[in-house]
Amino acid sequence: MDRNMITRRDALRAGAVGVGALAMAGRVGTAAAASMNTPVTINMLTWNDHYDPTKQLPAIAKETGITVHPTLGSDDGTMFIKAKESHQEFAIVSADALWVPYYYEQKLSVPFDIQSFPVSKQLYSASLDVSFWKSSGGYLAYPRAWSALRIYYNPKYVNPAPTSWEVLLDPKYKGKFVRENQPTDIVAEAGLATGAKDPYNMTAQELSKAQQFLQAAKPAFLDLVSQNTGVVTALANETAWFTSENLGTDIRVKKAGGPLIKAAIPKEGVVGWLDAEMKMIGPYEDRFEQFINAWGQANWIPPLFKEFEEAWFNEAAYKLLVNQGMKDLADAVGYNNPEGALSAHLKGPQKNPGAYIDVFNQVFGA
Amino acid sequence: MEASATHLINAPGPAGGAVKGTRLGALSRLSQYLGFAPAAALYGVFFAAPMVIIVMYSFWTQNGYSIEARWTFENYQSIFSTAVYVDTFLTTLWMTAAATFATLAIAFPFAYWLARYVSRRWQRPLLFLVIVPFWVSYLLRVTSWTIILGNNGGLAHLLGIFGLSTPSWFLYDRPAVIFVLTYLYFPYAALTLFAALERFDWRQLRAARDLGATQTRALRTVMLPQIRPGVTTAVIFVFIPILGEYLTPQLVGGTRGVMIGNLVDNFFEEAQFAQGATVAVLIAAVVVILLVVFRRSLEVGEMYGR
Repeated sequence: MDRNMITRRDALRAGAVGVGALAMAGRVGTAAAASMNTPVTINMLTWNDHYDPTKQLPAIAKETGITVHPTLGSDDGTMFIKAKESHQEFAIVSADALWVPYYYEQKLSVPFDIQSFPVSKQLYSASLDVSFWKSSGGYLAYPRAWSALRIYYNPKYVNPAPTSWEVLLDPKYKGKFVRENQPTDIVAEAGLATGAKDPYNMTAQELSKAQQFLQAAKPAFLDLVSQNTGVVTALANETAWFTSENLGTDIRVKKAGGPLIKAAIPKEGVVGWLDAEMKMIGPYEDRFEQFINAWGQANWIPPLFKEFEEAWFNEAAYKLLVNQGMKDLADAVGYNNPEGALSAHLKGPQKNPGAYIDVFNQVFGA
Repeated sequence: MEASATHLINAPGPAGGAVKGTRLGALSRLSQYLGFAPAAALYGVFFAAPMVIIVMYSFWTQNGYSIEARWTFENYQSIFSTAVYVDTFLTTLWMTAAATFATLAIAFPFAYWLARYVSRRWQRPLLFLVIVPFWVSYLLRVTSWTIILGNNGGLAHLLGIFGLSTPSWFLYDRPAVIFVLTYLYFPYAALTLFAALERFDWRQLRAARDLGATQTRALRTVMLPQIRPGVTTAVIFVFIPILGEYLTPQLVGGTRGVMIGNLVDNFFEEAQFAQGATVAVLIAAVVVILLVVFRRSLEVGEMYGR
């Protein structure tokens, strides 16, 4: 027999090897698919406007095998401490703007290739190009929503329209300003009023000026409420005449049966936020993409928008909102203008958070 | 008691010699405390340990958002040297005292009337009405007052009938805080005072009157000393929790009704745990001082000549 000829035995052997290889490949693929849908429970540190516990989370669990246990946080500072001290307990953490790179610097979060997430195709391109969310390893967070604050005022009592934070110093508005009790943001706004370049990282001198402004403005403050609903109620029953609040407050006041409220942008600027979901270092890093692809789908956003009235970065969801008759409300909160997210002074960690609280306490203490 | 202890100590053993009394006494004492062990464990884990941690935090160094185990007195120096913290503490003390006084001033006549003049048949339903507000959450009860006291609330409408307007301090001011705190803590005072008055022998008052004392003197010299532990308990049950209040001032106090608890809340909101712990320790210190001062008032022995 010629040595170069393939014998029947050789052919059979080659075929058997080939079939075996194919079978092995299939089994590995099945195993990989099985591990991606393996039931797992992960903890997520977030805010209540980031998810729907009744329909969305159960659907995600059914589709992906990922059961999410949300832990609600209050503000970025305490959430950061919780995430840091919990030692990889949380697989996903939500954070605002400049807190995202801070988590990365503190080696708590992991960057990822956001463009490889199929669901990211639904996002506005502007949200994929936020400079402080970029790193050499990839994107630092999956964008969720944003807002900027405005001075909302009742034109029946407040005229002319405010053009500056100095409206707080006008004695005719004594006891007519209501605001959510957010010490750092209030001090930051006072910083803007007094010309601070970076209101969330003021120098001692800038803080001193902000404190003086706030002390002078204190008579205008009627109350510092714990939630947005308190602001809406005060404006609706005209106990208060103006506030500093998120976009869409005028719509909420109208829905609460209140009067026409208008928005004004003070010339010194406003503060704002954009938040996102971060992939945390830990045992469930490989399930992050799967969760985001399920959680970030446009169809989940309209019910959340209806409840919380926030501008998400999901462009596909805007189209759904328009189709569902919510275009006016979506436009009122600037939904289709994601570039507006970067026009405000954005929240981030301060080098001296204690100094901000000191300023606030010194003004609003007894 | 002493005789039986001696008997125990000198009890003969199986071989006729005396049993070692010390071990028997210690074992006996230990067994008396065994029943307390679960409570001690709970107390240790859920109260003592957190208190120790809070005290430690107050002496540690705050660095940005993190707290470092570097011992320092700086937190205390900062609090005592900043006027607003001292002023707010003092303001909190007088607001608490005012609310406590107002609470007892309303609760005592109610408890007196209930214990002395209301038949046993009606005492229970009336006491039941006192505790019914506890069925509603604290937050809802306080929030309801923002509606009642507000410019468009029920009180405003009532005053409007008489051509009056609501004063600005009805809401978002210190009087509103004191008023709502009095409402919230009335049940604690009323129930405690009732328990004390219910045990009082009212015939002693009549005897005092028969012996020539006026009604006021009889109340002051005969009744009050005997119910002093109950009054002290009522003061403690009302004063101490009000001292740490922050939710009621936040909801109805506006920017003028701030109490020290609000400043602590502000510290913790921004993860400034060292300073927040410092103020919390100072509040706890005031509570301890109060309990030491009132400790003697809680002793009943001297009232009964022991």
